[in-house]
Amino acid sequence: MKVKEDYLREIKERAEKALNKKAPLGPDIDLNEFYLCSPQEKVNSVENISASLREAALYAGVELGEDKSSATYLQVNRSAVYEKIQDAFQGKLEIMAVSEALEKYPELWEYWWGLVPVDADKYTAFSELCPAEGYFIRVFAHQKIEVPLQACLLLSEESRIQNVHNLVILEEGAEANLITGCASVRGNENGIHIGVSEFYLGDNSRLTFTMVHNWGENFHVRPRTVVKMGNNSFYSNTYVLLKPLSSLQTFPQAIMEGENADANFQSIVFAKGNSYIDVGSSLLLKGKGCRGNSVSRVCAADNSQVYARGRLISYNDEAQAHLECKGILFSKGAEIISIPELEVYGAPRSRLSHEAAVGPIEEEAVNYLRSRGLSREESLSLITRGFLNIDIPGIPDVLRRYVDEVIRLTSRDIM
Amino acid sequence: MLEIKGLGVKVGGEEVLQDVNLEVGTGEVHVLLGPNGVGKTTLLMTIMGMPGYEVTKGDIIFQGESILPLSVEERAKKGIGMAFQKMPTIPGVKLRTLGELIVNESSDFLKEVAEKLNCNYLLDRSVGLGFSGGEAKRAELFQLFLQRPLLSLIDEPESGVDLDNINLIGKALSELLEREQVRTKKRSGLIITHTGYILEYLNADMGHVLMEGRIVCRGNPRDLFTDIKEKGYQECLRCER
Ligand SMILES: Nc1ncnc2c1ncn2[C@@H]1O[C@H](COP(=O)(O)OP(=O)(O)OP(=O)(O)O)[C@@H](O)[C@H]1O
Ligand SMILES: [Mg+2]
Repeated sequence: MKVKEDYLREIKERAEKALNKKAPLGPDIDLNEFYLCSPQEKVNSVENISASLREAALYAGVELGEDKSSATYLQVNRSAVYEKIQDAFQGKLEIMAVSEALEKYPELWEYWWGLVPVDADKYTAFSELCPAEGYFIRVFAHQKIEVPLQACLLLSEESRIQNVHNLVILEEGAEANLITGCASVRGNENGIHIGVSEFYLGDNSRLTFTMVHNWGENFHVRPRTVVKMGNNSFYSNTYVLLKPLSSLQTFPQAIMEGENADANFQSIVFAKGNSYIDVGSSLLLKGKGCRGNSVSRVCAADNSQVYARGRLISYNDEAQAHLECKGILFSKGAEIISIPELEVYGAPRSRLSHEAAVGPIEEEAVNYLRSRGLSREESLSLITRGFLNIDIPGIPDVLRRYVDEVIRLTSRDIM
Repeated sequence: MLEIKGLGVKVGGEEVLQDVNLEVGTGEVHVLLGPNGVGKTTLLMTIMGMPGYEVTKGDIIFQGESILPLSVEERAKKGIGMAFQKMPTIPGVKLRTLGELIVNESSDFLKEVAEKLNCNYLLDRSVGLGFSGGEAKRAELFQLFLQRPLLSLIDEPESGVDLDNINLIGKALSELLEREQVRTKKRSGLIITHTGYILEYLNADMGHVLMEGRIVCRGNPRDLFTDIKEKGYQECLRCER
């Protein structure tokens, strides 16, 4: 027990020292301008979830009240208000508030800040020092759960810091598909969301993670995600952001320790208004035979500014990975900055590659569609949707349709 | 149906057409011949109203009205459709999706037409992406068929197509243009061809040779073809039939 207490104390100390540490990327946010979220009452049935919360969930791609998912976690502001595992999946997985999990399973402390450095920046530090809540998901060994799990994190209060810390553990041979929707409730235009996520993928496990964000126009969002991958594990991460916000900065990382681990990141971004968006992913290819892809599709309109990053770092001769960034610019005021980084350390036979293209929408295609009777607006929106509609490796059909639907739903007013 | 009067067209700043005069009656199918680069595609694109083709003089009358003021989509809605020589690629947009937008839903008609043009296996691929030459031609005609235009502008439907598929395309075009119907023909076509194969299926009413920015010769399409095969296009300039 001594070890645990030392660890937790050290974590606190490191966090305190980092409380004013600016993040290397993204505009610096003064956290003092925001209030803490308040706790919420639990509900025992989806019927008791208000219409406005349900609507917010829907815009982040989560349909509450439908039994289409294997398990559901709903957090509003600072509290887990609803959790459910469908009967058929009892005993195969766990889903609960992370605070509850840490009490129930004291041994989990080893996973807490085990991947994301607590002193990475002021946001992670704040997350440790102020009350955080989030989901804990564990899929037991060899359980293969095709039906998606869904987690939804909503913020209904104005000018708050929502401070989320999630823990996901896939035991050996486990498989799951997780959808996470994060959104502010309609009318709540101002706040900040800090999301720390630590995912542990055991040997031969498989996780697809699809995250949709839908925030108010003045929101700042700082997800901090690290995934650790075991032998022969597979991870597919899809991030979708199609609504304007003030700023978003995220640079999730896969630490590929195991042999033959396979990581795939997809960022699908439509930046509008004055959005400042800095997205990407980084793959640390450590094990033999590791491979992966980091793909981004970016549309930038109005006066938005988008950084699309990708970082591939190989430590192993037999590693292979590819980076791809494609962007469409819709206006003079919009900016896309593509920043690829390929790094090889002591592994001269590894293969890393990179491909990028930024340009306007193809007028030839627009005119072609118009000649079929579509209006210019319809044509632009169809081409844009197609452009964003990338192949997502490893996801089941239901999730494919889900991503299509999210793109369709949120891009109706795309132009 | 279509009347082109003294048409001049500029593309990319270059004057490609100077003085084109051409008429296609209701229910008629005409073929447009001419050497590479004379402006055959330009003429069709201009009738369709594609941006980038600037009319410098003359007029295009469709069903009694000038269509010059109309945008490309307005012309499509009026009943003009085109099968393009080159199909663009539109990544992520399935041929099926586009087909559904053209017919306004997923209908049995769409399946039937896909069957007819051997396009079933292309429906779930992105428009034009990785299509072979022959696949692109069939996919173009598939869309045109779904549109069922009154006036079909068809740019080299059989170039690069194998014999089996020429047969398939020929029959489809004959059906689209109602060539088998005797009296009730109401759809017209203007078709560019270099090979003339398509004539076997269409029994076209008239042929036009485009050279030096104008129609230099017209007549029975089969006769024109035979002459051109024998004497070459240069003879057309001299003959003034
Ligand atoms: N966008 C453009 N910019 C500049 N020149 C163009 C453009 N489009 C066409 N042209 C030129 O206009 C002329 C006519 O081209 P067009 O495609 O109409 O010829 P065509 O008769 O259809 O030839 P082909 O039999 O080879 O298909 C050519 O010299 C071509 O290079
Ligand atoms: Mg041509």
